[in-house]
Amino acid sequence: MNNFDLRRYRAMLKREVLEHPTLFFGAPVLEALLIVLILAWLQTFVPLEEKRLAVEYMAVLFNGLSPTDMAPIFMLLAIPFVASLYISAIVYLTNSLYQDRRDTSVLFWQSMPVSNLQTVLSKIVTIGVVVPLIYMGTLAIMYCIGAIWLTVMGLSYEVEVAGLGYMFMAALTSLALVYLSTVVASLWLLPTVGWLLLFSAFAKRTPLLWAIGAFILLGLIEGFVFNTQYLANWVESRSDPSGYLILSFGSVFDRLFTYDMLFGIAVGSILITGAVYMRRFID
Amino acid sequence: MNAIVEARALRKTFGDFQVLNNIDLNIPLGSITGLIGPNGAGKTTTLKALIGLCDVDGELTVAGRDPRESRHKLMEDVCFIADVGILPKWLRVNQIIDYVEAVHPRFDRSKAEKFLATTDIPAKKRIKELSKGMVTQLHLALVMAIDVKLLVLDEPTLGLDIIYRKEFYDRLLNDYFDGERTIIISTHQVEEIETLLSQLIFINRGEIVLDSQMSELADHYAEVVVDTANLAQADALQPIHKRKLLGKYAYTYEGVAKDKLQELGEVLVPSVSDLFVAKLKEERNEQL
Repeated sequence: MNNFDLRRYRAMLKREVLEHPTLFFGAPVLEALLIVLILAWLQTFVPLEEKRLAVEYMAVLFNGLSPTDMAPIFMLLAIPFVASLYISAIVYLTNSLYQDRRDTSVLFWQSMPVSNLQTVLSKIVTIGVVVPLIYMGTLAIMYCIGAIWLTVMGLSYEVEVAGLGYMFMAALTSLALVYLSTVVASLWLLPTVGWLLLFSAFAKRTPLLWAIGAFILLGLIEGFVFNTQYLANWVESRSDPSGYLILSFGSVFDRLFTYDMLFGIAVGSILITGAVYMRRFID
Repeated sequence: MNAIVEARALRKTFGDFQVLNNIDLNIPLGSITGLIGPNGAGKTTTLKALIGLCDVDGELTVAGRDPRESRHKLMEDVCFIADVGILPKWLRVNQIIDYVEAVHPRFDRSKAEKFLATTDIPAKKRIKELSKGMVTQLHLALVMAIDVKLLVLDEPTLGLDIIYRKEFYDRLLNDYFDGERTIIISTHQVEEIETLLSQLIFINRGEIVLDSQMSELADHYAEVVVDTANLAQADALQPIHKRKLLGKYAYTYEGVAKDKLQELGEVLVPSVSDLFVAKLKEERNEQL
């Protein structure tokens, strides 16, 4: 890959982010702001002595502990953000190959020397790699604000704050684990990604309804014709976080190289190929 | 002369509707070709087929490639402007320039900026905040800064006022066309482009009804303003069209010797719009 190719891919990713500022920046920033404001408001009801005890307790609890070992605890804090990331991903993927057909700007994008495969891949990389980075960046800023706040409080209460440093490091380490989990989840959920992209490229309107409706229809057909529910069971097994959750850095490869993961990637790739083919001719 | 577009027996159907019916095209390098036809004639489908946005049957080569197989490679040599609505409205002017610069290997940013400096388009404005005319100017600025062999224009000035339309074609001819590039234009506003054209193609109901070099039109077609006394004689020469003109009749002929026509009245070269009407009515009469 030469410099021009790199510049091209960067521009394609930038274009995706620029198109959805509310979804990719607005949602996590608003969420973080709400959490900070709510916590700031709630702490006004806590008596000074209890606040001092809480800060001291945290500083003592984490002092000297390995951030990597403690990181999984802090992953819980990211749950609301991951939930909103998933909602953003569904909205983004269902519109990503539909919106430009609706407003006819697809003619402009197609007039550029960018292949349909590159276009579709840029959508997947955006939601699987770039957007989680934005979310984790927002969380990191939120953690920094929290750390500064706790440190100032600790210093004003004359508490030994070194332990807060360990806590902050554990929180930041948890973000790396959450990020890896979301990247691995985008591979684990590649069949869903492919399914949404397929209907985004196919539907003349309401692609999300098409995607959900077609899936329910397939499930019903399976039930009536074969009297089985493999499809529903498979979806249930894909919803299990144990398929993609990374609780330690060493478990990344264990998650990536499983039969279920590779089978899902294969199914997802077939659906994505379908989306690329649908994108070929815009009529 | 080498052809940049060669098509043999192009066919396209939408359900039972035959949009393109065995179309042959041969568009030479360095020409400005007008693709003229009424609504639903198949113009846009033909142009989309040329740039690989529409699947068609038949043989098709554009700039040495089959558009159906490698659209993105072809678009390094071909630019396309459809009507004014196709630029993404959520991008800012400077952002769309950044994007094209990053993805198109033949884009010259300084040329685009030089062009835009002659307009009132602010660099930081979103495209949705620009007027229709400004969006067209912006698209033209982008396209003129790309060094390609073929420019395809599908109704590029649709919905624009006369000032923007005139400026569009003036800039295209004076600042872009260099005799080596090829331009294909599809438009309803025939009068505005007929002086630019070197080749003329009429399309109707998915079929080519005329394909001629502009320089050869005068050899094959003639319009005669006939006095009422000569009407019977004029009818006998089988005009393809006739219309009333200030108390006289204007007859359009195809392939009739000039000396025979001169006996009827003043012989003129028909305008493209008159010829267009004549050919379409002739075709309609043949079908009745």
